[in-house]
Amino acid sequence: MEEKIKQKKHTKNEIANFLLNNKALLLLFVALITCTAISENFLSLNNIRNVLRQNAASCILGLGFTCILSAGNIDLSVGYMTGMLGVIAALIDTRTSIPFGITVLIVLGAGVFCGFVNGLIGMTIKMPMFIITLATGQFFRGVCYVISNNTPVTGVSDSMKFLGQGYVGVVPAPVILMVITGVAIYIILNKSIVGRWAVAMGGNAEAARISGINISRITIVVYVLLGLCCSLASLILTGRAVSAQPTAGAGMEMDAIAAVVIGGTSMSGGKAKVIGTFFGVMLVGVLNNVLNLLGIDSNYQYMVKGIMIIVAVTLDSCAQKYFDNQLKKAVK
Amino acid sequence: MSQEYLLEMSGIEKAFPGVKALSDASLRVKSGEIHGLIGENGAGKSTLMKILLGDYTRDAGEIIYKGEKICFSSPRQAKEKGICMIPQEINMVSTADLAENVWLGREHQFATLGLINKAKRLEATRKLFKQLKIELDPKSLAVELSVAQLQLLALARAVSYEADIIIMDEPTSSLSESEVKGLFKIMEDLINQGKSIIFISHKLDEMFTICSHITILRDGYYISNHKTTEITKDELITKIAGREIKNLYPVRNHTLGKTVLEVKDLSQTGTFQNISFSVKEGEILSLYGLVGAGRSEIMCGVFGIDEIDGGEIRIEGKPIKIKSPKAAIRSGLAMVTEDRLSTGIIGNQSVLENVSLVNLYKICNKFKFVKNRQEREDVNRIVEELDVKIASLHQVMSSLSGGNQQKAILGKWLLTKPKILILDEPTRGIDVGSKAEIHKMIANLAEEGMAVIMISSELSEALGMSDRIVVIREGKITGEFAREELDSEIIINHAFGYID
Repeated sequence: MEEKIKQKKHTKNEIANFLLNNKALLLLFVALITCTAISENFLSLNNIRNVLRQNAASCILGLGFTCILSAGNIDLSVGYMTGMLGVIAALIDTRTSIPFGITVLIVLGAGVFCGFVNGLIGMTIKMPMFIITLATGQFFRGVCYVISNNTPVTGVSDSMKFLGQGYVGVVPAPVILMVITGVAIYIILNKSIVGRWAVAMGGNAEAARISGINISRITIVVYVLLGLCCSLASLILTGRAVSAQPTAGAGMEMDAIAAVVIGGTSMSGGKAKVIGTFFGVMLVGVLNNVLNLLGIDSNYQYMVKGIMIIVAVTLDSCAQKYFDNQLKKAVK
Repeated sequence: MSQEYLLEMSGIEKAFPGVKALSDASLRVKSGEIHGLIGENGAGKSTLMKILLGDYTRDAGEIIYKGEKICFSSPRQAKEKGICMIPQEINMVSTADLAENVWLGREHQFATLGLINKAKRLEATRKLFKQLKIELDPKSLAVELSVAQLQLLALARAVSYEADIIIMDEPTSSLSESEVKGLFKIMEDLINQGKSIIFISHKLDEMFTICSHITILRDGYYISNHKTTEITKDELITKIAGREIKNLYPVRNHTLGKTVLEVKDLSQTGTFQNISFSVKEGEILSLYGLVGAGRSEIMCGVFGIDEIDGGEIRIEGKPIKIKSPKAAIRSGLAMVTEDRLSTGIIGNQSVLENVSLVNLYKICNKFKFVKNRQEREDVNRIVEELDVKIASLHQVMSSLSGGNQQKAILGKWLLTKPKILILDEPTRGIDVGSKAEIHKMIANLAEEGMAVIMISSELSEALGMSDRIVVIREGKITGEFAREELDSEIIINHAFGYID
């Protein structure tokens, strides 16, 4: 009888452990059920596809941020960088006859370059990345306004439009890009040595350095990864809006950080939950979607985001306390 | 109830998880005396004081203060009753002026309706300084003060609490001779006013100058106490060091190999100069000295953690420039740092992730992906070898005990199969059981041909483990002793600076 009770407790523990380690999934699950209940239009193929498509760009930014945050860094220039990259993409696309494939490569290269610059400045000037990316962000913002002359760049090509609005079979193109990026980032952070070094650096930079990790090099790598993600996101956004707005992207970094935090990647570094980021983005996306379906003012969506962050972080600290208690019981 | 003593601590015991810090400690202080408290690092001096102040609760023993049995629950309570401590690292608000610093937390006596009367506070501070003959301007900022002046400020603050007992922890470690003289004069004035001072220091000469009595602690035990006029420095050193080397250390039969590391004239401006030593395969070299002597800094320089300003390093005869820990590791060095919490472990990562970290680059496939199975096998193997007690490899590192964390970190470095292993205080803060295990492991590694450099502040550890001991004091080598020449008194002399 005692054995059975012990076993039962064991499985109860395991389930609790799993749920708390994947609280974003838990929250998303709860949200999906709630939304299905309160809106009859929610659970249709079209609607779910829409949600995925509309949040693909944010998700890609979130994936880039997962790299940065798990490596113990931060980047406040992401919003302006994305906007600037979008304008560059649109300008090349509309004003030159450069083939679309090359345009994409140029934009990706620009993203790499911006990320490289962020990382390099950070490693040369020993100031917190918070300040440095604050500054570079303003710089990108300026470049963006200058080259666009403060007006939206319109009339993008069909190829660009495809990236934002097209379908490959039944799957929207942005979603495909999102999945590819997600898989790539997951592999990099969890399987490749560069990713392991980055996450270790986030956990304890000095211990990582003493363990033989080249902190400067790895820092630059994570910022380049984020830059690449910004490029991809900017292409999708430009395609979706069929134009590049100079103000596009402003404030997107906050959304991305929120999603990453909800997803379970620690803001202090040392842990990377790639799939959590996906769940975090979709959670906010799903809630915003259901508010739309119910005809509620879009301004409420901001409040929803705020509440979700607090709920997620509270769950996080409850989970932490639970795990600590488990540990105390085990040690006794 | 002996009225002759202002403070009587007797039979104090204190254990922490795995460590018995105090086994039977005592201290008796009369009013109007400067009483020295001396002992090696780890003897129990700070623990005893923390118990007195109420930072820790004692497990056994009695404290009688002013004729009453006491047990303080916090330093604040102790201050209110008249016992105050000036720690080694003095805490002042650097951007505030001296008056504000002295009365920090007790502003209400100068306040009306919540507003502080700054003039009144300044006046009180001036009076205090005058009483102590301290020549400082209460309006100057704390950040402008020299270390010596900060000591005086801390002393003034203690007096303002109307403390009857002031504990001073290593007050002269950063002071010049003249500054020390100035401090001592003020201390003498204080005891003439009936106060008592407990003076903790490693500087024997100063002890003999200023203290009337000295109490000696060793390994958590009270050894003896003496009037300074009735004991010589030699006798004092004997009692601090103790004659026996404990038989807790593994017996070693060793044949030494070729010289594997040579360090010549290494220097770092302001920290250490002209450091030269060498280590052979199979040898255990200890760097012994007091805390702050510069030993960690020297090895951090060798390992590439910090920059060195001069000198040469040779590994297996070849000169090499070590510019980063990465370079050091590739050259066959490994270093277990002093502070495992801040520079050793990645607390929120798993045991697996921590232990595999340094060697990760050696177990990648051609796409630079980590071979996960090999990683698990390697870590499992070393965890078993070192007997690290864990529930699973995925357990979070911060949940391990200190001893197990240290073993895990050692495992991390051993996976790289280093030629030269540097250990900085490998058994600090670790329970007796794990300590012995780690000592045995170190001895085994040396037997297998590894060159080991061990930094230790515990004389018995250095004496028990080493083939050679290099004594470091204030950034310079003051002596080198081979196994046959090992003698605890001579070594303590060199470390404390009695012989130069």
